[in-house]
Order: sequence, then C-alpha cells, then structure tokens
Amino acid sequence: MTRADWVLLVAVIGSLPLLYTHFWSDEGVARHLQVQIGNRPARIIALDQDRELTLDGPLGTSRVEIRDGRARFVNSPCPGKNCIQAGWLTGAGELAACLPNRISIQLLGMHPRFDAINF
Amino acid sequence: MMTECRRRQPIRQQIQTTPEDHRIAWLAALAITIHVLESALPSPLPGLKPGLANVITIAVLLQFGWRMAAWVSLLRVLCGSLLLGTFLSPTFLLSLAGAGCSIGILWIACRLPGRGFGPVGYSILAALAHMTGQFTLAWLLFIPHPEIWHLFPVLMTAALLFGIVSGIIAGAMTREHRQCRT
Amino acid sequence: MLLAGCSQPPDPGQHRQFFALGTLIDITFYGIDSSTAEQAGTELEQLFLRMHADWHAWQPGILQETNHRLATQDEFSADPTLLPLLEAANRLSRLSNELFNPVIGKLIALWGFHSDERPAGPPPDKAAIRELVQQHPSVTDITLDNGRIRSSNPAVSYDLGAVAKGYAIDRGIERLRAHGIDNAIINAGGDLRAIGRHGDRPWRIGIRDPRGPGVLAAIELGDDESVLTSGDYERFFVYKGKRYHHIIDPRSGYPADSATSVTVIHTDATTADAAATALFVAGPKQWYAIARRMGIHYVMLIDRNGTIYMNPAMRQRIHFETEPADIHLSKPL
Repeated sequence: MTRADWVLLVAVIGSLPLLYTHFWSDEGVARHLQVQIGNRPARIIALDQDRELTLDGPLGTSRVEIRDGRARFVNSPCPGKNCIQAGWLTGAGELAACLPNRISIQLLGMHPRFDAINF
Repeated sequence: MMTECRRRQPIRQQIQTTPEDHRIAWLAALAITIHVLESALPSPLPGLKPGLANVITIAVLLQFGWRMAAWVSLLRVLCGSLLLGTFLSPTFLLSLAGAGCSIGILWIACRLPGRGFGPVGYSILAALAHMTGQFTLAWLLFIPHPEIWHLFPVLMTAALLFGIVSGIIAGAMTREHRQCRT
Repeated sequence: MLLAGCSQPPDPGQHRQFFALGTLIDITFYGIDSSTAEQAGTELEQLFLRMHADWHAWQPGILQETNHRLATQDEFSADPTLLPLLEAANRLSRLSNELFNPVIGKLIALWGFHSDERPAGPPPDKAAIRELVQQHPSVTDITLDNGRIRSSNPAVSYDLGAVAKGYAIDRGIERLRAHGIDNAIINAGGDLRAIGRHGDRPWRIGIRDPRGPGVLAAIELGDDESVLTSGDYERFFVYKGKRYHHIIDPRSGYPADSATSVTVIHTDATTADAAATALFVAGPKQWYAIARRMGIHYVMLIDRNGTIYMNPAMRQRIHFETEPADIHLSKPL
C-alpha cells in the first residue's frame, strides 16, 4: 500500500461517521400531512401512500398530490396560483396555502427545521 | 517527375493477436462472468450491485492503463446486460452509472502527480464512486423518496469494504504493478 | 427495516390553523396538552374573526361607521374597542414621518386593495390619484382626546390594513398569557410574534424568499419578539406586465417601488407592523432615519435588484441559507 492509499483510507474512514450523522438524523422528516379547509377541523393524512386529494373550498376544487413522501398543490381555482408556485413541500413544518379557496396544507414531523415561516 | 503507376498487389493481412490482447480478452470475459453472477445476488435496492467486477477494472488499469480499463468496464456492462437480457433496462442504467462514475474518478486519480495510489487506493475510489453513481441515479430516476438516503451511509460502508478487498485481490493478480496512465 | 419508522403523527394539538384577517393564521403551541391547545385555538379564532369584521374598512362595521362620522367633521365619541387601535395608529404614523399613513383609506379603495378579494387591473386614473393625494389626508388632521374624536379633513378615512394584523396578534398573545400559555407562536402570514421557547431551544423562524419558493434565512427569537415582513408579493395585481402591490406610498399615491420586502424584529407586533410598512415606503435611501425615529433595532430591506440592506445587529441575528452576494451594512441602529 502506498502512502496515498493510507491517506485515502484514513480520510474515508474519518468521513463515514459524518455520513451517518447527516443521513440518519431525523431532522426535517415528515410523515404526515395536515389539511385545513376553511375553519373546519384539520385532517391528518399519512404521506406513505401516493395519492391525489380533491379538496373543496368556497372557490372550487383544489387538487393536492402526495408522492414519495412529499406534497404539493397541482391545481387550484384561485387567480394568483401562489399555492401551486410554492412547489413541493418536502420538510416537516413546510406549508402552502390557497388563501382565496381557504385551503392550507402543512407537513408534520417530529423535528421541523423551522417552527414557523414568515412570508 | 512522373509517378510510376504500379499495379498494386492485393495485400493479405493476417491480424496478429498479441499475448497482451489475449490477456485483455480473458480479463474482459472474466469481468462479464462476474457481472452475470453478481446479478444472482440479492440487493437492498433493485439493481444495486456490490461491484465485484471492479477487481478486473483495477487489474486492467494497473497493467494496461486507463483507456483499456475504461473499455473493459464498458464491455462488461454492455455484454453483461445483453447476456442477462437486461439491456437498456433500469438495471443496465444503474450498472452504467456505477461503471461510468468509477472510471471517471479513476481518470482523475491517474492524473494526480507523485507516486500515486496503489491497487487498494484505486479500488476504494472506484468502489465509492460506483456506489455513489448507482445510488444517485436510483434516487433521481427510480425512487425519489427522500427516505432512501437512510441507506446511503450503510451502502458506502459496504462499498469501502468491498473496495479494500477488491484492491487486495487485484494487487495479487497483477504481478507487475504499473503506474496507471490515461 | 431501515425505511420503516415510528409512524405516530405528532400531536396535532401543537398546531392550530384558521383563516382570518385575509390570511392563514397558524398558532404553534409547545408543551401543553391538546385540550388546552384546542380551547385556546378556538378562542383566538373567534377573537380574530371578530376583529376582522369590526375593522373592515369597507364592510358594515365599527370602522366603517367611524369613517362615516369622521367625514362629517363633527366631534363624537370613538368606539371604545376601536379607540386603542386608533391611538396606536396615529402615534406610529407620526413617528414614521407619516410614511405609514393609516388614513389614506380612499386611496387604498381607489386601487382596490380595501377588500378581501384581489383586484384585477387596470390601475386607477392618474387624475383621480392626484386628486386624493392633494387632499392630503393625515393623522395631524385628527384630534383624539379623552375618547372624543374629530377630523378637520373630509378626505380622512381609516384603513387599518397595515397595522391591524400586528395589533390583533398582540391581543391574541395577551389572551394566551391569560390562559397560562407562555410558549407559543401566533403567525399571521408575514406577521408573527413568539413568546417563550420550544422546549430547550429558542423558536426558529424561517423567512421566505420574496422571489422564490424556498426559505431565504433563519432567525432565532428571544423570549418575546415579533418578526414582521412587508412585501410586494403579498397582495398585488399584474396589468400589462407591470405589478401593482398594496403598499401605497402616501406621498405619490402609487405603490412604493424601491423595495421588494422589509423584515423587522421588535417586541410588540403593532409597532413592528407599522414600521415594516413605513420602512418599505422609505426604501433604501430613507429606511435608516425612520427606523431610528421609530425605535426599531433590527431591520432588513431587500431592494428591486436583490441588494440587501441591514443594520449590524440584524446581520448578527440572521442566518442565510446561501450567503447573499450584496449586503449593505448601515451604521448601528
């Protein structure tokens, strides 16, 4: 084994623990989706099954897609489409809302990166 | 001066094969065999393979240089998939990604100045690159679920171990260790 | 086996959401049982919905009636539930050199930003805007003394949109404290106040990127602090490719256009709300002076080009996801 081999080996073995702490941390993992329509009680839906939700608000029907543990608005009757522009929600605590249609979706997890988002 | 016009003799050429060609062909065949046998092994993610055929890649790299190693890798993936009937399938793409990343990193490693790495060093680099390439492609194309990244540290640890073992075997196979050249 | 995890949903009592004041209100609790959270959440919901109805400038309610009576220029007794808000609004307007002007209700209505619905173009007629601006509605036209109120300018009309959310949040926090809840966040879109902590760590707040879907920066809040962001992306309409948003510069009658967003950290949300609006109107050139007058200690302003202006203390507190290229630090506030 050459010197470069040893350096490489030590470097790789030294970095392995970092890989574990990074990829095994539960931070940001979300397993459930909270759906709020108007001021009705919230619904909690598991994120482990891919599906499409049809949500009826005062303006019409908004559609939310759940895929691979993430969620997003795909369709909404509002004029601004801010909800769709928010894109995929991937981490716990992330939220998207269609204000005109009174619908909001939020990912729930044990360790959200942020407690609230100021926008 | 006028150029003389001569009737050209048809030239028969025999393609001479050198012992070197024989050896490469033998190694390539071995690589393909390993690739095919590997497909029988169970794996945590469909199509993800430990890359035992890397032993051959490293051996070829040390004895015949990078270009030859690249060729053998490519041949291994192509012929292996043809033999297995997985040509152009997701498995094929994953093998290609893995092989591509490993010879890519070997190219960079070969160009580094100084005495460079030995068989174990190249093998570790190749194995880690192979696993990263396969895993990333699997995540991007086939299973974008963010939670599969929990497997990544485990697979990289396995790749490191396989890399060390392959390196030792490749070192034993190649009696004359040459500096790899690109 | 590695992929399966504990699949219990986190206690839903810790988050309570409802729609009011034209936005989504998100209440976060920490460390209380779900029935207390449920009860507190419901009470806040009712409080906010009532405030929304009472303070709506253009639907029948307390504020509309107040505006009608002010237009007569006679003196009358202000509604006691509205009085503290009017006093606060007037005081803050003066402090901000009237860049935050709560009595330009007619101008806001002309632009269409008075209602809950989003207006569609086209922008109002230049002459109409000029006329309203020249009538110069100002809080200095209002005498408020001992609960008696009078206006000397018929053009004066209260629209409290720029400060109502902050004020509502402050009242909401009071209610929570009255219930013995000391660790919570009331988040009304861009207006947020947090008390206490998240267990053993401070509350972590994400500031949204004004131009994209992601988070621009993170802030950790102290025991009782508000973060307020005013932006041109909250309420706006686009007409012929140009964007017209709801933060009207009272001096010109047109949407203030030198900034895209302003973030302010302060103790009470009412002041922070008025300040965020005033600083937005002030823009990169005047924000520092106004912030000093209003007693604000943490400001971040992003202009049209994406350049970030802030004071050193704010720079210390804010953690960007990716370091921005262009930061202008002011003198200390």
